Amino acid sequence: MKRRDFLKLSAGASLALAGLRLRSEGLFRKAYASPVAGEELPGSLGAKDIPSVCEMCFWRCPIVAKVKGGKVVKIEGNPKSPTNGRGDKARVCARGNSGIKLLYDPDRVKHPLKRVGARGEGKFVKISWDEALDEVAHNLKKVKEKYGPHALAFFDHGSSAEPLREIFKALGTENYSNEPAFFQCVGPVMVAFLSTVGYLASCTMQYTDMANAKAILLVGSHIGENVHVSHVMDFIEGLSKGARLVVVDPRFSVAAGKADIWLPIRPGTDTALLLAWINYVIQHDLYDKKFVSEYCEGFETLKKSVQGWTLDRAARICDLPRDKIEEAIKILAQARPQVVIHPGRHSAWYGRDDVYRHQALAALAALFGAIGTPGGLYFPTPISLGKVHSIKEVEPGESDTPLKDKYPFSDPFPGSPTHEIIRATLTGKPYPIRAWGICGVNILQTIPDPYQTMEAIKKLDFIFSFEMYPTETALWSDIVLPDTVYLERYDDVYVYDGLPECYVTVRQPAVKPLGEARPPYWVARELAKRLGLDIFLAESEVEIINEKLKGLGTSLAELNRQGGLMVLPAKGAYDRKNFSGGQGLKVKLAVEDFADEDFSPVPVYEPTPAPPKGFARLIYGRVPVHTFSRTMNNEWLHHEWPENHAWINDEVAKRLGLKDGEEIILENQDGKRSFPIKVKVTPGIRPDCIYVPHGFGSRSPKLSRAYKKGASDQFMISHYVQDPFMGASSHRTSFVRVVKNGKVLDIPELRPLPPEIPRFKLASAAAAGEGRKRKHRKSHHHKVTIEGC
Amino acid sequence: MKAQWAMVIDLDRCVGCHACAVACRAEWRVPVNSQYDGYSFIDDYDKWLEVVSAEGGDYRRNWVLRLGPERTSKGEIAFTFYPGLCNHCDHPVCVDVCPVEVEKRTFKCYKTGKTVTMEIRATYKEPFTGAVLIDKERCIGCGNCVEACPYRARYLNDTLEEPKADKCTFCYERVIRGELPACVKTCIADARIFGDLSDPNSEVSKLVRSGKARRLESSKVKIGPNVYFMGKEKNLELLFKHFAPRKRTWEEVEIGARSRRGLLKLALRNLPRLG
Repeated sequence: MKRRDFLKLSAGASLALAGLRLRSEGLFRKAYASPVAGEELPGSLGAKDIPSVCEMCFWRCPIVAKVKGGKVVKIEGNPKSPTNGRGDKARVCARGNSGIKLLYDPDRVKHPLKRVGARGEGKFVKISWDEALDEVAHNLKKVKEKYGPHALAFFDHGSSAEPLREIFKALGTENYSNEPAFFQCVGPVMVAFLSTVGYLASCTMQYTDMANAKAILLVGSHIGENVHVSHVMDFIEGLSKGARLVVVDPRFSVAAGKADIWLPIRPGTDTALLLAWINYVIQHDLYDKKFVSEYCEGFETLKKSVQGWTLDRAARICDLPRDKIEEAIKILAQARPQVVIHPGRHSAWYGRDDVYRHQALAALAALFGAIGTPGGLYFPTPISLGKVHSIKEVEPGESDTPLKDKYPFSDPFPGSPTHEIIRATLTGKPYPIRAWGICGVNILQTIPDPYQTMEAIKKLDFIFSFEMYPTETALWSDIVLPDTVYLERYDDVYVYDGLPECYVTVRQPAVKPLGEARPPYWVARELAKRLGLDIFLAESEVEIINEKLKGLGTSLAELNRQGGLMVLPAKGAYDRKNFSGGQGLKVKLAVEDFADEDFSPVPVYEPTPAPPKGFARLIYGRVPVHTFSRTMNNEWLHHEWPENHAWINDEVAKRLGLKDGEEIILENQDGKRSFPIKVKVTPGIRPDCIYVPHGFGSRSPKLSRAYKKGASDQFMISHYVQDPFMGASSHRTSFVRVVKNGKVLDIPELRPLPPEIPRFKLASAAAAGEGRKRKHRKSHHHKVTIEGC
Repeated sequence: MKAQWAMVIDLDRCVGCHACAVACRAEWRVPVNSQYDGYSFIDDYDKWLEVVSAEGGDYRRNWVLRLGPERTSKGEIAFTFYPGLCNHCDHPVCVDVCPVEVEKRTFKCYKTGKTVTMEIRATYKEPFTGAVLIDKERCIGCGNCVEACPYRARYLNDTLEEPKADKCTFCYERVIRGELPACVKTCIADARIFGDLSDPNSEVSKLVRSGKARRLESSKVKIGPNVYFMGKEKNLELLFKHFAPRKRTWEEVEIGARSRRGLLKLALRNLPRLG
């Protein structure tokens, strides 16, 4: 149709409508009243700004909550923030934008609940706060009296958990902070970096100067899908200024899409690649001799230990083209010292090899002189807050048989390895554990082998949780206490000590708590009263906040006059000489402490078993709109990403006759089966892996949106290996195959396995051999059962 | 040159985080149609056409669709995104199909105060910004414009008492008050560049002049979209392969029929209230 005809047509149509329109005026009232001033401005304009701190993930971006008519209508970044407020923007990610839908989610826990059915069944009655707190206090006291203080264990994460942690400390248990954030996540990278470079280059924050890098190496890190706003900003800024990017990942991640070189490595062989690179760099004189002689110890030991690691050997083990490996290391070496060897964060992958992998990353960074330099790893600025006198901290004593005893490098970290707690609960050895408290973490979607965790819970005398959502963990609790959402409470003072500038800011409420939700400090204080613990002297959080801010010569009132955030200068980010209070940087390329405990002082490659025949390794990761398993029920985030997909290599899919979008079930090496999940057929994954984004497939029917959407990677991880350094539990040591229409399909082995790598031995008849037999039987004999809550 | 707001989206910077889509939903209270949860996995233009329709479809002004990882014609693997919004086209076919009677309206330039009077229907191209806007008071919710848009940038909000067409305004209401569009302000990768093409010194003008920024159009559908995309060739190949508009959707809109149906629908909805 020509444009002219079009106009003619529309004009005619309008004429035809004229009669109708006349009548319509009387018939329909106007939907839109004309706006009045102030709050009636369109969108979020004219709202009252409450500065605070986001808690949709742990990165803690400064935000402003925009309030109209007593409701939060929008969340934006705090424009004063030197991280997410840079320029004329005020950034928050999709999750940050969706905090409103956590706050106003009708599925939230808004009353104290008491279990009436069996544990895990999800039958509860509403009770009063008094009743709930009395019950918690009574049971904790009873267990302590009967079994001693160490029979109490607290699984915690995030800021809500902090006041309750003080209670467990005061009750005297050594198991007062068994943080999945450490034992399921950062344990290995923390031990490696603390032992080699002497500071936590990567923990909650990551001191990577990607914005000024000329080259970046990511090993498994999938920045962009793993979203922390200022981290992504630095990454993108570096790339836009021309930084070259090498991505080592069995999957073609978003970062791989931006990379110069993607190395689809065989899972579990990263350390082999790093050792070969270290050897190459030393053999080809591509390292920073000045930095090594000035700041490093143990160079000769490292040099000798990597001698056998040729690129050819790594190519064979890692299943990568030799020339690509060489090209990649040349790119990284050429950029030295302006090269970010990213330390990674979640590192509890395979067990023993994990510390060595991150130790090798630290060593490579050191060889490039890329520590304490622009475009490399940098040092945080020391910022001291005022001392808190209004909380009496009690340091609990140790038991005769501490659960962390087996793990020589768990000592500087609080609490006990989560799996030691779980097994002690199951077996009563080395001592009984009979009561659990849980806050800020959905342990059943976080800790490997949730089946074991559920068995352990059944053995407990008492379990309570402090929750915003009716998660799986809440369903397994005897008492559920309703926590406030971060927009409803004061919390802590937050200091950012990185680049480009530091700041201090405070989490503060934008609105009153909904229902009977109560903030953590109130809850802990009420509980302390009932337990006879006189540890919380402050009447409110504001007192504590002011005590802390006093150390920086300010107060909450003053901070709020300045938009809720005070910028502080970054100092010594690249100052190696004055690092660590003047001690200076000292990098240990060989760690004697490791040798003292019968570990290798230098990184070594210890192969993790390869998938058994017929299985692929289960790998997992993040999607950019979700945090852990915490946000899947959020209306807006759910709309963007309601379910996960199982990424299957296109060649494998072809052989199995799987089509993109088709529904399958995953079955793991122990015969555990997943909820149905759709297949994503792509060339962007190795044929020996299946990738499942983490956190989906909720088993709590009380999460009306998230329930049964997609499959839980966690419920497929039933085999774990504990890291002998610090007791973290591995997540990438489970294997899956495909069940389609009730028929078990073995994964063909398209990449041959070198003899150096052992194969995982199947434990039970539920696994491979049996599976192949089953294929010959009638398929309906294979009963599809869904394990779990 | 007449003022024309425009946006350039840099796919090399974009990480596909969906912050833009959610910030827009928050800013403008765009409802969620849970029937279309997971819309972002749609990877093909024909399916996208089905998702939005006047008969009931998804609600969104701003979206992110995920493309790949997939092999390009050169055998490389690409993984990119289609961050979309209304294109505020030079030739807005959605305006052409509006059946509401023309009315004289005087517009005032938000910068200079200059005025101009012109005849508009319920939807029109604002003369001082080139933004395509909707007069919600005049909109009869017939859905013609929703069906006409080859990009599916409009939706019919039937959660209201009276259904109304809705879409991205380039955050006209915010920009005229000195604020950035919500999607631009929140973009964590600074992948969205907003400005006026009539200003030769604006970043958008420079990028468009350089030829780096490309319009998402095809030989079949060329209506002058003012949202441009730039990035690596492999990413643009994926975007154009899957989402360059292929259908002259506006030619199928029977203006009279649909608008009459729209009015009838409205009348039926209001029937109970008439008592």
